[in-house]
Amino acid sequence: MNTDCWLLVTADGWGGAFRIARALPGRLTAVVIGPRLLAEQVAAAGPDEVRWTDPGPVPAEAWGAALAGAAADAQPGVVLSTTDPAARVLLGAVAGRMHARLVPAAVALAVEDDRLLVRRAAVGGETIETLRCTGPVAVTYGGDDVAAASGAAAPVTPVELAAAPLAVIASEPLAVASGLEDADRVVSFGRGVRARDDVSLVQGLAAALGAELACSMPIADDLGWLDKSRYVGRSGNQISPALYLAVGIGGAPQHMEGVRGARVVAAVNNDPEARIFRTADYGIVGDLYDVVPELTKAVRNLPSKELEQ
Amino acid sequence: MRVVVVYKWARNPTDALVRSDGSIDWRNARMTAGEDDPAALAAAFAIAAGSDGEVLGLTIGDGDASWALARGVERAWSVADAPSLVDNAATAAILAAAVRHLGEVDVVVIGDSRQDAGVPVALAGELGWPALVGLTSATTVDGRLQAARKVGGAAQTVLLPTPAVVGIAAEADVDRAPGMKELLAARKRPLTRLSLAELGVAPDDPESLGCAKPDSTPARVFAGEPAETAAQLVAALRSEGVL
Repeated sequence: MNTDCWLLVTADGWGGAFRIARALPGRLTAVVIGPRLLAEQVAAAGPDEVRWTDPGPVPAEAWGAALAGAAADAQPGVVLSTTDPAARVLLGAVAGRMHARLVPAAVALAVEDDRLLVRRAAVGGETIETLRCTGPVAVTYGGDDVAAASGAAAPVTPVELAAAPLAVIASEPLAVASGLEDADRVVSFGRGVRARDDVSLVQGLAAALGAELACSMPIADDLGWLDKSRYVGRSGNQISPALYLAVGIGGAPQHMEGVRGARVVAAVNNDPEARIFRTADYGIVGDLYDVVPELTKAVRNLPSKELEQ
Repeated sequence: MRVVVVYKWARNPTDALVRSDGSIDWRNARMTAGEDDPAALAAAFAIAAGSDGEVLGLTIGDGDASWALARGVERAWSVADAPSLVDNAATAAILAAAVRHLGEVDVVVIGDSRQDAGVPVALAGELGWPALVGLTSATTVDGRLQAARKVGGAAQTVLLPTPAVVGIAAEADVDRAPGMKELLAARKRPLTRLSLAELGVAPDDPESLGCAKPDSTPARVFAGEPAETAAQLVAALRSEGVL
């Protein structure tokens, strides 16, 4: 089994993917299409080599075909990327050219009896399936992001490749963020809150905690109870607070993807089977209309310095 | 532009039941419209409208193929015997063969699924076309394909050559249920069935050695009197150092 691996990197967040790639016995080549600093950061993690292409203002996706050709020559047994859109496009180009399998959401790679084992997260991460693969395999990384380890720094080799004619023709800064992104604590609510007037209940808890207020997608999108800049989830805010307290939120995978970076997740839900209790660290089973006032009171009774941020 | 919109190409993970041993029971789930399909359809129409073009529908598997026909697509093709596969490249190979079967195509628009994040990009790789995914929308301006996306705090507009694949990620749940008139019209619109044999593809999956639940510590759940559970949670959060 050829376990030489290409790790395709176009942006930050490659630490987890690097870790599972490094676990393979073969030679690890990091292919970086991005700024020089990114190439140097990847090199410091200790791959065997870094091939670096500076895209300048051109989208990294423009190098898909050229990279596919280079991979067809080098014939790595495994090609890996994060789920970053640009890195994924490069992965698809390489996989198509090499006629490789493409397994999404891999969390671990191993070699057993000369075959590659890919462990992949299925059904939104509720279960992990082990696949035994022959031939070249492309995978997207689907585990948690981890800080990159540091290893013996690899040399960075600049590589000139031909780019397809893609061009950024306009770029405008997005509207000012809601403050959720940098918040240390976030209290969020979902459909468990039955009426617009009851939002104040959750607002009171957020105020007591010194937390930002957020919500699930339907609250902002269907009901309009909070501004769209305040919903958390796959297509909304992706946040990393120290504490995420979810009130009356079921915990659909699309929602939980927005808080993957949270340090502690706590939930209040009246359904003991609610999906959110599978991923939360702490939970209260109970009616939020009873629990939230008690929580607010308990927080207010804390010595005030406890809540200094 | 001749635009193909790919829809209903995966099962919905919420239709799956994970048993206590980690194995997956799909409970006869069919291919469904993914959460990104309506946004992909809207982009397909925008691209066609900007170029005096047409939108063709393409679906695979056992779902109801009339979904796109009831939402304004005039003609659709369905590879009905395509199975649901773990290997995203195998699914992409089926789609690529079907796209080639449709003759000259300028743009393929597909929902950029979170669950099967490899299908849109492997489809582009299989066709050998440039691609952008994670887009919020796409359109045609002065005969040229352009796409919108959010990257690092900026809203970008990107010009791309054709033929190309564009993957659209929904910003909101925008599906609109068609009315009776549209449903009736959909029945009259042509739906052509294709088979894997006709397309000359024989997809397979890697061997599965089974599933297991991930190692995760279950939540510490407090139940009982609200005042008591509230105090327990606050104490736990303090010991975690987040209060």
